[in-house]
Amino acid sequence: MIFSMSQTQMMKGILDGCLLAIIKEKECYGYEMTEELSQYGFDAISEGTIYPLLLRMQREGLVTSVRKDSIAGPKRKYYSLTNEGEQALDNFLKRWTQLEKSVNAIIKKG
Amino acid sequence: MEEKLSANSTRFVENLRVYLFSSGKKDEEIDDIIHELEDHLYEAELKGKSIEKIIGSSPKEYMQSISKEMNTDYKGWAKYIPLLIVGSFSYTVFKDLLSGPLSYGILTIIGSIIYSLLFFAGVMAALRYTASRQVTRKKEFFIFLLPTVLSTLFIGAILLIDLLYPSPIIEFGVLGSSIIGILLLISIIIFSIWTKTAILPVTLLALYLPELALSQTSLNEVTRMIISMITTYIIIGAYLLIILKREKVKVQ
Repeated sequence: MIFSMSQTQMMKGILDGCLLAIIKEKECYGYEMTEELSQYGFDAISEGTIYPLLLRMQREGLVTSVRKDSIAGPKRKYYSLTNEGEQALDNFLKRWTQLEKSVNAIIKKG
Repeated sequence: MEEKLSANSTRFVENLRVYLFSSGKKDEEIDDIIHELEDHLYEAELKGKSIEKIIGSSPKEYMQSISKEMNTDYKGWAKYIPLLIVGSFSYTVFKDLLSGPLSYGILTIIGSIIYSLLFFAGVMAALRYTASRQVTRKKEFFIFLLPTVLSTLFIGAILLIDLLYPSPIIEFGVLGSSIIGILLLISIIIFSIWTKTAILPVTLLALYLPELALSQTSLNEVTRMIISMITTYIIIGAYLLIILKREKVKVQ
């Protein structure tokens, strides 16, 4: 699937996978996710990009959300993975490992 | 809320709300995503990030990307369409009711329904357009003028055609007219509760009550017309004043 996409779509597919991985690690809210993303080098993307993705993943049943009080004050929306979400993450990891292998094989050929 | 956003972010959030609303999204879902984005913007601004870092360089594209992932609430909107049609009819129909049983040409009835749908769709499109782009006040005015002028031209043409080449006329009779009058009253009440404003009943009363009351007096026609016009302006003016005062109290 990841092979037949345009560049931005491929980027979104990768972001989807990263978000799923971040949420799997611990239940978190939007801003935390963007901090994590930027910490690992995804600092060129606009932070708001994650919200349409989260909306879609929620609609597809990959994540669920609940509003919780935070220490800082306002209620925040915390996301966690569903079983389908875990499955989607597994699939992503498989595709990604395959892609990485293929790309590395080509680059290191010479 | 104790949060305070910059002017730029506040404007963006307000525009996003209008954009999603005029794209037919559900109120609760709109509130949800707006709330989430406000929280994000607030935290980002505390850390000195600009709004471009959050939503990218094009607010329009960002709004579209959010809107695309939300369900459109066709059913919710469909509920309001008959109400909107009735609302826009109420002025003419009330006036005609005062002068006896109703009768309209079929073309006029169908044309009026299409007219209110056209007008509604046009205004929604104008809202979406202006909310997602940086437009000057002047341009905004003309963008909203466009659906108004076009739909007015449309209904004008329909009425003219119906006048020149009369279509079959439906006579509603006393019973039919009374039922329409009662249905109209009910829809006006629902409309007022839904929009949380009394603007429709107040303007209707302001327009027709003085005329009706004065027709019972022995004053001559010119005096009656002048008095009823002045009363109309006074009622509407007083209503607007009350609303403004209330808004001011809310702001404080």
